[in-house]
Amino acid sequence: MTSMKIDVDHLARIEGHGDIHLVIKNGQIEQCEFSVTEPARFFESMVKGHFFYEAPYIASRVCGICSASHTITDILAIERIFGVEVSERTRAIRELLVYGSFLQNHATHLFVFAAPDFLGHKSVFPLADADRTLFDAALGLKAMGNELCAAVGGRSIHPITAVVGGFTSEISSDEYLRLADALDAHLAFALDAVDLFNDFGSIDFETKGDFLAMVEEGSYPVVGSDVARFVRADKTFSIQDFANEIEEYSADHSAALLSRMRDGGNTYMPSALARVNASWAELTEPARFAAAKAGLRPPEFNPFANNIAQAVEIVDALVRCSALCRKLAVDDFEDTSEPVEFEVRAGRGVGFTEAPRGSLIHEIELDERGRVTHARIITPTSQNLANLERDMRSLAKQLLDARFTAEAIQLEIEKLIRAYDPCLSCSVH
Amino acid sequence: MAGFASCFGCQINITNIERYLLDVLGQIDMQYWQLTSSDPMPDDFDVCVIEGAITTSEAEKSARLLRDVADVVITIGACAKTAGIPGMASVDYRLRQGEVYGDDVPDVVSDTAYEPRAVKDVIKVDFEVPCCPADPYVFVEVLQKALRGSNAYVRTSTLCGECKQNERGCFYGRGILCLGMVTQSGCHAKCPNLGRPCSGCAGLSTDANLEVARRIASKSGIGAEAFDAAVTVFNQTDPRVGDPSI
Repeated sequence: MTSMKIDVDHLARIEGHGDIHLVIKNGQIEQCEFSVTEPARFFESMVKGHFFYEAPYIASRVCGICSASHTITDILAIERIFGVEVSERTRAIRELLVYGSFLQNHATHLFVFAAPDFLGHKSVFPLADADRTLFDAALGLKAMGNELCAAVGGRSIHPITAVVGGFTSEISSDEYLRLADALDAHLAFALDAVDLFNDFGSIDFETKGDFLAMVEEGSYPVVGSDVARFVRADKTFSIQDFANEIEEYSADHSAALLSRMRDGGNTYMPSALARVNASWAELTEPARFAAAKAGLRPPEFNPFANNIAQAVEIVDALVRCSALCRKLAVDDFEDTSEPVEFEVRAGRGVGFTEAPRGSLIHEIELDERGRVTHARIITPTSQNLANLERDMRSLAKQLLDARFTAEAIQLEIEKLIRAYDPCLSCSVH
Repeated sequence: MAGFASCFGCQINITNIERYLLDVLGQIDMQYWQLTSSDPMPDDFDVCVIEGAITTSEAEKSARLLRDVADVVITIGACAKTAGIPGMASVDYRLRQGEVYGDDVPDVVSDTAYEPRAVKDVIKVDFEVPCCPADPYVFVEVLQKALRGSNAYVRTSTLCGECKQNERGCFYGRGILCLGMVTQSGCHAKCPNLGRPCSGCAGLSTDANLEVARRIASKSGIGAEAFDAAVTVFNQTDPRVGDPSI
């Protein structure tokens, strides 16, 4: 019977610090852990006592990739407490900012982190020699996401302009139009990228876990809805009551708290794939067609397909952002994005967005002077880590039964982890 | 390139200068960058770039090892320079583990963790790229200094002077707290230019007069309490912050 030990200390090409420990003795898996060793920074504790206007700025620093999502989610939680109604224009710009971070994240993850596994490289840089056209187009797409976030948020990460009530500054109509043209110019390559990641292929594998995503009738929502759904259990709930549906727990090998469904204890996977499973029919037409061409249709339970789902979302984001920019350029809105007036009051609020890697929840409580008395941040990665570990175990078993070598098992497990696009700095925070 | 307690944003931000990335990498022989490559850490290198605050004894050990090998150490970002946002947790540090994890603090959190420290409080640092996130163009400039040498002075002035040149007016007149008065200059007042007051991410200037800034905040109706809260966001570990004599 086969025995092997796979240890990877500080897995490369993911955001944050994590180790793989897999021990197989006599054909049986004795240990299978993805140990999150990322240092804890205690965001929920240190934001206490700070004023509400500082909280989103601090929360932004949870993550260097999805900082826009953390900022907006925190702002939404605070606005819920104050009863702030922002303008249509502000809502549109927030959507633009969140989609901008989708472009940044998905392009970085797919090309800088994931693709080298399939191309047989250690990093993205050898691609500059092997296929300069692909390299330039891939980094160009990533640059487009950065450019969009920088135009809207003031810099490519940790946005400056987004505050409670609106935006402190906005670009001109000409700049919106220029962005729209630039976004359109990337569409052809984005469509090719869906085919590329489909052509990379993946092992036939199915997760046992559920999928969680924001939903809204007739839309593919990323910001603005308060409703979430467990796709496989077909259970829909208000995010304000998330604690009734989601349970966080700790494990000694993980600095991140892990999550499971409170009802039944199943693990689950918030992700691009979860969104595609929940709202496939509401993707923009080019994105839906690209997905269909790549064979990505719900229900799709293979977590490796998250790479293709992200590529599809790049197409979707380009189309949506271009349309939003053109709408903002012609000023098709009644109000400005200038921060609206509001009154500070005590209370509890939950903010909810779809971050690039999946559902992101911020809960905040403020006192009557607007100082934070309680905060809780539940990130996409902390929610899908338990499901990832479970998938690692069943994938290892499947490959072991198919007589894969230790080296091949390690590569497939690394591919699986990267397909989840984990952000360990987010997950621990 | 090594990362400690941080959001990884400074490293990401360096990959965000896509257009020039190959030119920058062309000047050096990149040996190790965990975020982008699975090549293992080499035994020898000349320049080491560090992101993040030191928050565990293991990180401290790694930092010392990096210092022993490298001729030049550059830190990028606020976490490395002042312990930054993680540094906020340096007060009542042990209590915070319980606040976040309850009674079941995971072993990987409790075993080796300690109060966040700036990199320069653990090892000697040759160059610093300030701000949150570190500006990638400033990083390239500092890298040039490290590679080719430079006798340029390190800035000590506060942001207010730099901001005034932009002629955007002052937040204080509108009753809004801004930390430009005490923060190191060099970012061209990026945030005030976009209608957002300075949050102090570049670190406190050596010229900063915290006592006076606090008094001005108090007199202008903003309140000393708001000033105290704001200044800790990026500068909790600066010995001048929380000094009872100020």
